[in-house]
Amino acid sequence: MRSPSASRAGRPPLPGHFDDRLGLLRYAVVIRPPSVSFHQGDFNCSRLLDIDHASLGEWSAQVAVVELGNFVAVVAADPDLARHAVRRLRLHWEASSALADVAGQADRNEGENGSTLNAHRPGTMARRYGWPNRLRWGERAGWVVADVLPTRASLWVDTATSDALRDDLSTLLALAPAAISLFSERSDHGGLSLGRLACDDAAADAALISRHIEAPIAIWLDADYQRDVDALGLAETWDVEASGAHALDAVSQQYGMARHAPAMALLLTGLTELERSPAPASRPAESPYRRANPVVKVGDQGGGSDGMRVFAEESFLDEWSRQQTSDPLELRLRHLDDSRGQALIEAVRQRAEWRPVPTSGATIDCSTPLTGRGFAYCHLPDTNGEWESGTRSAWIADVTVDPVTGNVQLTRLVVGQDAGESVNSEALTSALRQQLLPESSLLLRHDGGIDEWGDPTVTPRSMLPAIDTLTLNTSGVPPAVTTDALTPGGVDSGWVDARAHFNAQTLAPGTAAIANALCDATGLRFREPPFTAARIRAGLREQAAADSDQAPDFGRRPESTLFGTRRRRRRRWTSAVVASLLTLGGAAATVLPWKASIAPIPRPASDLYSEAAIERGRLVAEAGDCAVCHTADEDGVANAGGRAFETPFGTVFSTNITPDEATGIGNWSFGAFERAMRHGISRDGHHLYPAFPYTAFAKLSDTDMQSLYAYLMTQPAVPSRSIENDIRFPFNIRGLMAGWNLLNHDPKPFTPDPTQSALWNRGAYLAEGVGHCSACHSPRNAMGAEKRGDDYFAGALIDGWEAPALSQLSKSPVPWSESALYDYLRTGRAAQHGVAAGPMAPVVAGLGELPESDVRAIAHYVASFMPTAIDAAQASDLADEHVALTAAAPPGFDAGERLYRGACASCHEGGDVPVYSRAETSLALNTNLHSDRPDNVIQTILDGVVAPHSRAGNAGDMPGFRADFSDSQLTALVSYLRGRFAPDQPAWEHLSERIGELRGEAVP
Amino acid sequence: MTDSIALRVNGEMRHLPLDPATPLLQVLRNDLCLNGPKYGCGLGQCGACSVLIEGRVARACVISLGAVAGRDVVTLEGLGESGQLDPVQTAFIDCQAAQCGYCLNGMIMTVRGLLNHCMRPSREKIVSALNYNLCRCGTHVEILEAAMLAAELDAAGMAPSEVE
Repeated sequence: MRSPSASRAGRPPLPGHFDDRLGLLRYAVVIRPPSVSFHQGDFNCSRLLDIDHASLGEWSAQVAVVELGNFVAVVAADPDLARHAVRRLRLHWEASSALADVAGQADRNEGENGSTLNAHRPGTMARRYGWPNRLRWGERAGWVVADVLPTRASLWVDTATSDALRDDLSTLLALAPAAISLFSERSDHGGLSLGRLACDDAAADAALISRHIEAPIAIWLDADYQRDVDALGLAETWDVEASGAHALDAVSQQYGMARHAPAMALLLTGLTELERSPAPASRPAESPYRRANPVVKVGDQGGGSDGMRVFAEESFLDEWSRQQTSDPLELRLRHLDDSRGQALIEAVRQRAEWRPVPTSGATIDCSTPLTGRGFAYCHLPDTNGEWESGTRSAWIADVTVDPVTGNVQLTRLVVGQDAGESVNSEALTSALRQQLLPESSLLLRHDGGIDEWGDPTVTPRSMLPAIDTLTLNTSGVPPAVTTDALTPGGVDSGWVDARAHFNAQTLAPGTAAIANALCDATGLRFREPPFTAARIRAGLREQAAADSDQAPDFGRRPESTLFGTRRRRRRRWTSAVVASLLTLGGAAATVLPWKASIAPIPRPASDLYSEAAIERGRLVAEAGDCAVCHTADEDGVANAGGRAFETPFGTVFSTNITPDEATGIGNWSFGAFERAMRHGISRDGHHLYPAFPYTAFAKLSDTDMQSLYAYLMTQPAVPSRSIENDIRFPFNIRGLMAGWNLLNHDPKPFTPDPTQSALWNRGAYLAEGVGHCSACHSPRNAMGAEKRGDDYFAGALIDGWEAPALSQLSKSPVPWSESALYDYLRTGRAAQHGVAAGPMAPVVAGLGELPESDVRAIAHYVASFMPTAIDAAQASDLADEHVALTAAAPPGFDAGERLYRGACASCHEGGDVPVYSRAETSLALNTNLHSDRPDNVIQTILDGVVAPHSRAGNAGDMPGFRADFSDSQLTALVSYLRGRFAPDQPAWEHLSERIGELRGEAVP
Repeated sequence: MTDSIALRVNGEMRHLPLDPATPLLQVLRNDLCLNGPKYGCGLGQCGACSVLIEGRVARACVISLGAVAGRDVVTLEGLGESGQLDPVQTAFIDCQAAQCGYCLNGMIMTVRGLLNHCMRPSREKIVSALNYNLCRCGTHVEILEAAMLAAELDAAGMAPSEVE
């Protein structure tokens, strides 16, 4: 499908300092069991029964399969080969007990939705908070390399939790921790991190394989490791319960058991003995809020980590005060009996200009960013376990949330730390900047990736918050406290489970402060980190859906209150059920011929979406050329539909995609829209024909899909007359499309190719997804489905035009290069190829709206399919040669030549004088004249070239000659053009018949 | 069509709230009342509609308004300065190079475009430049003579009276 040279060129570099001079390095791809779960210390996964080595076929000589318990990996000298072998290798797994899976899910959901233990007892509130075993898969995609020798091991991995990783590797490899060297390109972890990342799992995978194969192993770490993050579930849970009718009377906390999970490789190979009970705590956890009455009681059994407890407690107090509509900061002050802590909170309150915020009745205006601030306080014992001399810190975080993308920016942070006289505030600031901010942005960072519009190097992705630190000097506090917080590795974790690497006491209240600020901004409560954009987006969407259902009768945009009423809560539950049904429906979409209708909704208000979302949606629509197909040919209103498409199965008319409720998509919910885009099923449940390229649109990212919906729904609604399709029997039975989809449609979202560059992947995302290039440029099989494999981009006929091959099959006299493709797509004109015409002209016009980097990405991707053996100078020579060869007309075309001289030469013959309206590219270089088919030449002469996109200096429109030439004149002219400008190609056969057909077919 | 298209015509900025697909010739003649450029074939074949865009000759009937957004367009009316004809115009008057005169706009603009590009063109070069400008009433000899005189006047850079 793609040229091997392209995939090699784009391979990302191996980690620095890793030296593979001996060429021993092998690449591995791990295969996880289909079902894996880790729930409260119980590990459960599908058991490997058998590996069908024969399924590798001729590759079995070049590929090694590592099998250790349920751990499976494929190793090869080339990463592409390993990846392809994984696809080919057949494994047989025994299903694991489904119950455990469900339990793991329930564990997550409880944390997510705030299971309300005893919630119905009046005056009490109970919440469960959780901390995941893996925060996310990693910081960035890259190679993880392990080189394991019998006596020592070296790993190149950017781990944030080196101690825990070293422990795991020591167990895994039966080596002393000192024999394991970890090389990290990041030097500023400093032992401070909020939790483990799945890069540790990748490192353990690589180490295990390396020991087995006896060669250094590289594993690609990327979002695929998210499945480990999901499978490993929660590391800790805390249940917090409070009572009190109005004031807070008593709070009790329980360390709800969970288990810290070691690296996945240990679990899969069974090399680790899982203990059933948590490591006994030598000291019960303590809470700073212990003023005699009311009281905060911590469960007797202790356990868990301080950081987790601070997160749970500080989140809970915020929830409580919001429910009571009291000021969360005041609540802390009331229940604190520590004068140092009170002074610190006061100081921070003044520094941050904290004002009691109205906690109810506020409205969310979805067109503007949401802002909120949160408070958290923390008091931890010093290294000797002494409580009184411990560190107090108070945090106020300000966040801004984009309601459409869910992106969070930490805009300001005020941190007060009470840590004695000897504190160097400069060191504190720098430590916070270096160690806290990367972690905060780790929690909050937008995922980025292939659906990022615009040039990421130009647009700053995140803003550094204004950080404000405050140190209170209170005498008599040993400086050791400060050192404890700021010195890497200085934490004595004797009383904490050795694998509980939530060691960042300094960072713990920050997590709570941000969670509280997020709740203030959005009304959504997150009881487990990380706070990803996807979670925030999903929460907001659910909230918006509940809101718009709430009062459909009076106005389109009911005001929403910040904190959920009981009604809201019920709604949320209902929509969760609907969502899960939808998912089931989506999975079954390819099997059932009949699809359910999705209930119509009132058209979403035009002010529901932010300008940023609408603008992004506009770019998606331009890249997808929605309007090209959804606008009727003659004086059609943009997007109102009605354009006819001739297919081998009959005529299909495009539909109205303006938000008109009666004839357009005005009453389509996002769910209905997304289903149509990804599965080709209309809102009312009928199947759409694949003339609508949902096979490509399925690749759109969620964010782009949502933005596109936002854009389309905010355009003017235009009523239209619906036109019945004219499809022949049996193709007019739409239910048959279910079978078609089963055979031809892969609704999987786009997955980037890790061995390719970011530019290539961005181009692939645009070209394969929204740009749907192959819908025109790939031939279709007898069922009307795009052919893949070698036929991908092999060219096809569409709408009376030939979409030329974009692969090695291209007939272009001068081979296309990446820069020529860029010029063509950006300006509509490539110097050695000509101008965009016919159905491609509006495509280029649409691309003109996209950021330059995106057009470059598409050109880069398409170029990877073309042979680019020659450089610019060679191309130029080749072009000159072609032009020179065709300077003189061959004999025997007199009639054609006369017509050419009179009608064409004034623009198409090069003269000595520069003429602004002259066609700059010689016809000798025109791909259409070298094609096997005369279609595009005939179409161009009949109807000319209209170039609305003329960005290039001198792009004149070519007039159409439909009314000026008879069929016989056209035949003479086209024969002449072929004979003169493509002398190496045979004359076209059946030319006059084709001219007659196209003249009849094309719309004037 | 709410956006207007800005371009400079004969030195003056114009903001035209028109469909960018409108042929430039139609805009010049109908909207700006500049009737120097003539409507001949409408297919870019005869050259009667020629204007100068960025100093280069162009056939206004095949150029859309959108394609000249932000550009400098000069029509026959914009040649020369107030009270002083362009040397090319002077030469055509001096040689009486018109019979029906319909093609003359194109001839003059094409010669102007040629002279903008090349100082002392040979006769062959002038013939080649005017090759695709059609004259139906047979004034070719005079036109060619005028074009050669124009080249001389232009090169001399002198006012017509001084040449006389």
